Amino acid sequence: MSSLQEKLEQYRQLFNDLAAKTKNSKEVEELKQTFLGRKKGYLTLLFDELKQLPPDDKRSAGEALNKFKTEIQQALSELEERCRRPEAEKPPTDLTLPGKKIYWGAPHPLTLFQKKIEKIFVSMGFSVEEGPEIETDYYNFEALNFPPYHPARDSWDTLYINDKLLLRTHTSPVQIRVMEKKKPPIRIIIPGKVYRRETPDPTHLPMFHQVEGLVVDRGITFAHLKGTLDYFIKALFGEKIKIRFRPSFFPFTEPSAEVDIECLACHGQDAQCRVCGGTGWKEILGAGLVDPQVFKNVNIDPEKYSGWAFGLGIDRTAMLAYEIPEMRYFYENDLRFLRQFNRK
Amino acid sequence: MNISYEWLREYLDLNLSPRELAKYFDQIGLMVEAVKEIDGDTVYEIETYANRPDTLGHLGVARELAALLGLPLKSPSWPLAELDGLTTDLVDIQVLDSQLCPRYCGLVVKGVQVGPSPEWLKRRIEAVGLRSINNVVDISNYVCFSLGQPLHTFDFSQLKEARIIVRRARKGETLRTLDGQLLELTPDMLVIADESKPVALAGIIGGEESGINERTTDVFIESANFDPVSIRLTAKKLGLMTDASYRFERGVDINAAPLGAKMAASLLGQFGGKASRGLLDVYPNPRKPKSVPLRLKRVGELLGIEIPEEFVVRTLTALGLKLNEQKPGVWVTEIPSFRVDLEREADLIEEIARFFGYDRIPTEVTPARSFELPADERQDCLWLLKEVLFHYGFDEVINFSFGDREKEKIWHTGYEPIELQNPISSRASILRTSLLPGLVENTVWNYNREADGVHIFETGKIYFWEEDGKQREEWHLGLLTSGQREAKTWNQPARETDYFFLKGAIEDLFFYLGYEAPSFEPEDHSFFQTGQAVRISIKKEPVGYLGLLKSEIRQAYGLDKLVYGGELNLEVLFDRQPRPFAFAPVPRFPGVVRDLSFLVDSTKNFQDIYGQLKKLNVPYLERFEIYDRFEGESLASNQVSYSVRFYFRHESRTLQAEEVDRAMLDIISQLKSGLKIQLR
Repeated sequence: MSSLQEKLEQYRQLFNDLAAKTKNSKEVEELKQTFLGRKKGYLTLLFDELKQLPPDDKRSAGEALNKFKTEIQQALSELEERCRRPEAEKPPTDLTLPGKKIYWGAPHPLTLFQKKIEKIFVSMGFSVEEGPEIETDYYNFEALNFPPYHPARDSWDTLYINDKLLLRTHTSPVQIRVMEKKKPPIRIIIPGKVYRRETPDPTHLPMFHQVEGLVVDRGITFAHLKGTLDYFIKALFGEKIKIRFRPSFFPFTEPSAEVDIECLACHGQDAQCRVCGGTGWKEILGAGLVDPQVFKNVNIDPEKYSGWAFGLGIDRTAMLAYEIPEMRYFYENDLRFLRQFNRK
Repeated sequence: MNISYEWLREYLDLNLSPRELAKYFDQIGLMVEAVKEIDGDTVYEIETYANRPDTLGHLGVARELAALLGLPLKSPSWPLAELDGLTTDLVDIQVLDSQLCPRYCGLVVKGVQVGPSPEWLKRRIEAVGLRSINNVVDISNYVCFSLGQPLHTFDFSQLKEARIIVRRARKGETLRTLDGQLLELTPDMLVIADESKPVALAGIIGGEESGINERTTDVFIESANFDPVSIRLTAKKLGLMTDASYRFERGVDINAAPLGAKMAASLLGQFGGKASRGLLDVYPNPRKPKSVPLRLKRVGELLGIEIPEEFVVRTLTALGLKLNEQKPGVWVTEIPSFRVDLEREADLIEEIARFFGYDRIPTEVTPARSFELPADERQDCLWLLKEVLFHYGFDEVINFSFGDREKEKIWHTGYEPIELQNPISSRASILRTSLLPGLVENTVWNYNREADGVHIFETGKIYFWEEDGKQREEWHLGLLTSGQREAKTWNQPARETDYFFLKGAIEDLFFYLGYEAPSFEPEDHSFFQTGQAVRISIKKEPVGYLGLLKSEIRQAYGLDKLVYGGELNLEVLFDRQPRPFAFAPVPRFPGVVRDLSFLVDSTKNFQDIYGQLKKLNVPYLERFEIYDRFEGESLASNQVSYSVRFYFRHESRTLQAEEVDRAMLDIISQLKSGLKIQLR
């Protein structure tokens, strides 16, 4: 009886040795025949031997033999499975080889930056509004307190479709559209494409993106405008950024302001700085309290309500944030440029 | 506008260095864009605003600085050497259109020796960026850049009958200008004429014939005020912009005209000139100063900080306003004529804020009585859509909304394009009517720059005229895939993209956005190869198309590689409610799986078969998967084999084998009648 046990052990070793050498399903099949072949398989022969054992030994030997058989069958089916799988999926011998990667597409940097801006304002309870890109003179200029034939229009060089229609030069007409249909309190931002008849240069293109903000309620002050923009700019550029408000002029705000941030390229240290021209400041947005005439144009009583508005160029601000030297990169859509932004 | 430090000192006793002074400009909104040293003078290039013509002269800028720094504003005197003759005896001035010319002042100066300007004058003229011409021309520019009042000087001997007539041009009249251009005039334009013909285009440019030259001895000085809109329309129409028109279209101080004439005449005295007695001043309708109310309380309410009354009074007074107190903290202010921008209380509050300093106004969080709910779900939807496409490995692009009329012709988008009246270039003369041309341009760009494959999308608008002549803008999604999708690695061969990659992405878009699965009907389209395109519809409503780009289009763009493209009208999608999400309980009892393989006629396409399977009405059938399809080999040529795996489940108990057997029989009989299947 012990001889059967010993044989079993020998066969187990033999099987493992042979199994380790199998390379394909043909060899696995051969191995299977060697051990489980109906006539001459080693295990078949062992079972034959078992029949001749006395009944007492038969039981324990039988159990051992059956266990071995199960082991072999399982090992064989694993080997078969492994052979059936394509070459590539076999466990590699070199575990330091690169893993398998799945490529994620890259969001456009302007989408990414716009999203960032929206997130900051949405967290302050603003909603995001939209409006048409093809506008009338009324919404783009007149309702925003640009008198007809006034030189103030020169800074908003316009692409016209016909005498009545134009491509909006800013997102501000949406202010009017929203105030026409909604009563205060209003707390919105308006991102979108805008168009100017500009000769292309590193910081000017005939199409770019803006985001407009508008708050209308009782008791809104210039201090509120300052506080909100201060928070927004710090959320965007970090807590340490230096910010400056200075007087400016826009027909649709009074008082009006322009907001500069410190030059991120030189921090005011380089008199020859190509980004800020040595001033140490970069203008990023225009803002102000909503002009009372604009309120009158949408039937909101300027004695009861006040409000603030701002407008920011998304492209130029993203250029500052990502240190992109030329605006045209955004619209060339070179994959070597775009794909850098799936890491941002 | 260039502002000279030395010139400012004619009006201010400055005790600040030029560097120190620069900071003060910024505080009151006269942004210094550059500082230059010219000939020992410091010149500030400041940004001026369309509503502040008073800052287009040194006096106006000096007034601002005086108010800020608390300095007195000096007013230089302009003594005249006078002739015996009265101006009215020497020249006859008639203003025929006092609407377009509300004020006209004139003086005759005789015996002027025209010649080069003295050093001091040259320096002034060059500081503001002009070229010195001669003493007479330089003096009129000096006055213009001092007061912001444009002047014109005529050679008096060239004015026929010594007459000045301010009138509208007559049809067919022309004028040869100082710079040699011949202008054709129209009756909407205001001219200065002598007895016979126009001698100047009012407020814009003078005529060549009556201009000052070396032989001139007698000068007629015009210091007038013209209607801003008329000047702007004329200048725009003729494509002219001069220092004069720039100021007049913004609004020149109506009361600067007399001083302008006197100042010029006084300066001409330095070159032998003697002025006629008595300024001729045609001002038929003198303007009353504007009066604007101001409430101290309102100042604090809008700025968010209480401003001391004393500060308000001091600042506005220094700016030339007169404050008449009605009751404590309430005034009616009288606005000086040089401030054309001040008309309402809000304008005065801005003045107070400007001089108080924006940096001294506190920063406070904007309070909210209520927060806004999201306007709609479009933006969320749009972002989710993008995320699905990022997951598929598409990169996002943004193209200009413009299109090239010629290039769009080969696409036949079927839309009537919107043309621009004044495009930047002919290549951007229309608004795009499809997103695919832009995506194809991007593909060319990237293949020319070492890309092995391009998989991109864009969400943006297309624009077109509707049949009723109304403009329409529509949100679209454009998708494009071409070339290699996965590069070869040590454990995987390179993979090319194909039609089904694009179709899969589109199918998943609908799925993840919560819309029902769209249907795809083979249908030819002008963008795609015949027989290689499908229309995408949702509940029979077309939402877009996809297919293999036509080789003619590829050739037109010089593309060798195959390009698959698709476009969806997002308005159709966004107008539909996605299916509301509802939680379904996780099954507690095991399911049963059965496979079925069958043959169908090859005229039935996948969508027909899927549709039939979808319609099966069989108990316990939870879902099914079509896991295999093949044709050819051992099959007859008109047959296709499909293998489907069916999943059965009862929600509250384990299914019996017999129940599933019966269900399978049911399925087979339904498919036999619906699809004429043959079991394999």
